[in-house]
Amino acid sequence: MGAHLVRRYLGDASVEPDPLRMPTFPPEYGFPERKERAMVATPQEMNDAQLPLRQRDYCAHYLIRLLKCRRDSFPNFLACKQERHDWDYCEHLDYVMRMKEFERERRLLQRKKRREERAARAARGQGPGEVAPEVAL
Amino acid sequence: MKMFASFTMLTIMILIYPIVMTLSSNYNIFNFPKHVKTTIKSAFLFSLIPTFMFIDKGYEAIITTWHWTIFQTLDISISLKMDFFSMMFVPVALFVTWSIMEFSMWYMHSDPNVDRFFKYLLLFLITMIILVTANNLFQLFIGWEGVGIMSFLLIGWWYGRPDANTAALQAILYNRIGDIGFVLSMAWFLTNSNSWELQQLFITDHNNLIPLLGLTLAATGKSAQFGLHPWLPSAMEGPTPVSTLLHSSTMVVAGIFLLIRFYPMLENNQTILTTIMCLGAITTLFTAICALTQNDIKKIIAFSTSSQLGLMMVTIGINQPHLAFLHICTHAFFKAMLFMCSGSIIHNLNDEQDIRKMGGLFKTLPFTSSALTIGSLALTGTPFLTGFYSKDLIIESANTSYTNAWALLITLIATSLTATYSTRIIFFALMGQPRFSPLSPINENNPLLNNAIKRLLIGSIFAGFIITNNMDPMNIQQMTMPWYLKLAALMVTVSGFMIAMELNNLTYFLKIKSTSQQMKFSNLLGYFPSTIHRLIPNTNLMTSHKSASKLMDLIWLEKSTPKLLALLQLMMSTLTSNQSGLIKVYFMTFLLSMLISLPFLI
Repeated sequence: MGAHLVRRYLGDASVEPDPLRMPTFPPEYGFPERKERAMVATPQEMNDAQLPLRQRDYCAHYLIRLLKCRRDSFPNFLACKQERHDWDYCEHLDYVMRMKEFERERRLLQRKKRREERAARAARGQGPGEVAPEVAL
Repeated sequence: MKMFASFTMLTIMILIYPIVMTLSSNYNIFNFPKHVKTTIKSAFLFSLIPTFMFIDKGYEAIITTWHWTIFQTLDISISLKMDFFSMMFVPVALFVTWSIMEFSMWYMHSDPNVDRFFKYLLLFLITMIILVTANNLFQLFIGWEGVGIMSFLLIGWWYGRPDANTAALQAILYNRIGDIGFVLSMAWFLTNSNSWELQQLFITDHNNLIPLLGLTLAATGKSAQFGLHPWLPSAMEGPTPVSTLLHSSTMVVAGIFLLIRFYPMLENNQTILTTIMCLGAITTLFTAICALTQNDIKKIIAFSTSSQLGLMMVTIGINQPHLAFLHICTHAFFKAMLFMCSGSIIHNLNDEQDIRKMGGLFKTLPFTSSALTIGSLALTGTPFLTGFYSKDLIIESANTSYTNAWALLITLIATSLTATYSTRIIFFALMGQPRFSPLSPINENNPLLNNAIKRLLIGSIFAGFIITNNMDPMNIQQMTMPWYLKLAALMVTVSGFMIAMELNNLTYFLKIKSTSQQMKFSNLLGYFPSTIHRLIPNTNLMTSHKSASKLMDLIWLEKSTPKLLALLQLMMSTLTSNQSGLIKVYFMTFLLSMLISLPFLI
């Protein structure tokens, strides 16, 4: 939970992504065939189901299925376990995707920092493996 | 559809009927308490029908009946908002009240004014339902003030006792301070939205902190958050049924309910959410610390209520109003049961409330002790009892949300303290050897007591499961988290239990020594009542005394004009006069000048 916070405050803050300003790199960088993620539930379906705004995400179609199952199986309130699991699993996969995006952002920032340092060393005339003139004997 | 509105109105009319009929002379009910209990039981059964219609079809309604008045463009009428919150709360409140009425028939049976007691309780219930079903702020305010007044009347039930009168006044005063915030919000909404209807308030995008701060102040006063909290433990001066109904399940959650009603406005304003969360976190920790060293069983449970209210505020602060509402409903069951068990213990030990004088009640009161134990387990969030479904979800949501880490840590510490003081009650009241007089007639053979506790016991075990499975998912629950976050609540609770049992066992081998600073802090409630209850009146009285006697009488009326003028005159005259007052010298001068001028005249 707190690993990203600890790394941000105690470690190097320049290579940690800021969750409020994500993503910094273009999404197709490194993934040439990446398509934009599409929602399965249409706006009309979500309006008909009267979903609140927070629940209109990429897993809304499972939620609509769950609500319909619950309405159909009243008064058996223990009925819709499979639909509930489907929705929860979709949200879980969504969470995993968000974590992967975060980690991708972090590694890209680290790579960017390494490249900038290498460019700065080359600009100073220092080849790979050599030390700066003021350090050499 | 007609059934929905009819049964809602029927529920409310059934409750009003006994109150109204007491005004007529030919209303001769032989056993008024039993009549009231039956009224509430039937109201509960009738209120289940609209609730089931809601669960089945998602049927919500706004029932506008009597149009009261129009002030130019402001329209006030009686309108009931039957949505998720009111539909779920009303049956829960009626069920808990039904059990409490049955319990009071046993507890208060020797009271000469028991009819009036039941009338007050019923009136309280009606005002609470008015508050919960209100669609406009005016009606909410009517219910708000109503529950405050009934709280005053019921806390001061034994009015011959000065402690009870002080406690009732304290409740009124602290609630009044909260009402300032409520009226401020009402005034702001009136001038900026020209309406008090909830629908019209939520449509406009206000994004202003003033009304939300007013509502937070109102909730602080009514729900005993830190700063305006001392009235709640003092309110234990009232009879146990009053503590059970008002100060654990229904009245004190009115402030939280208000904030839950306004969640569309709160969720857009991060500042107010953080304020609410930090206030709730401070409350829950502070009151949990105070509960650790109290010796009155009712006060411990009162502080426990205050701590849970702080937890509900924290939940609102992490933008989970539906979880806070779920906690309100589940908390009502086990907290009411805890109070009823303590009432049973108190009555059976001949009105002994000090836990240091109880003990060994497992064998003598088996049913009450089982209920107390199960209620405490439910309170601490034992897996799959009622409290688990709300409390554990709250802690999980707080752990996985982008939120204030300090408030989260405080809440976790308070959760472990919950287990600690619950263990303390069980250890001192139920375990060990009896420390009370052996001649107390202890029995639990009255069906009024047993049935009431039994009903709430079944509720404490199953209500969380039933309510959670019948609620549609209102919020996307974060299910994925590391194992240490998932088990955080359970681990701190278990560690609280173990530390408490260890410390309690050590009390068998104690030597007397002077109390530590921490003990004094906790026992004197953080010195909060001692300072605030003396500082503010003292300042006021000294200011008025000084201003009346020194400022007005002495300085303004005496010194500033008359004496100052006299002084100035004196000073000026002595400075500017040539007179030295030496009469003999004057006479000599006169005589000398006469003698000198006399030869010239003659």
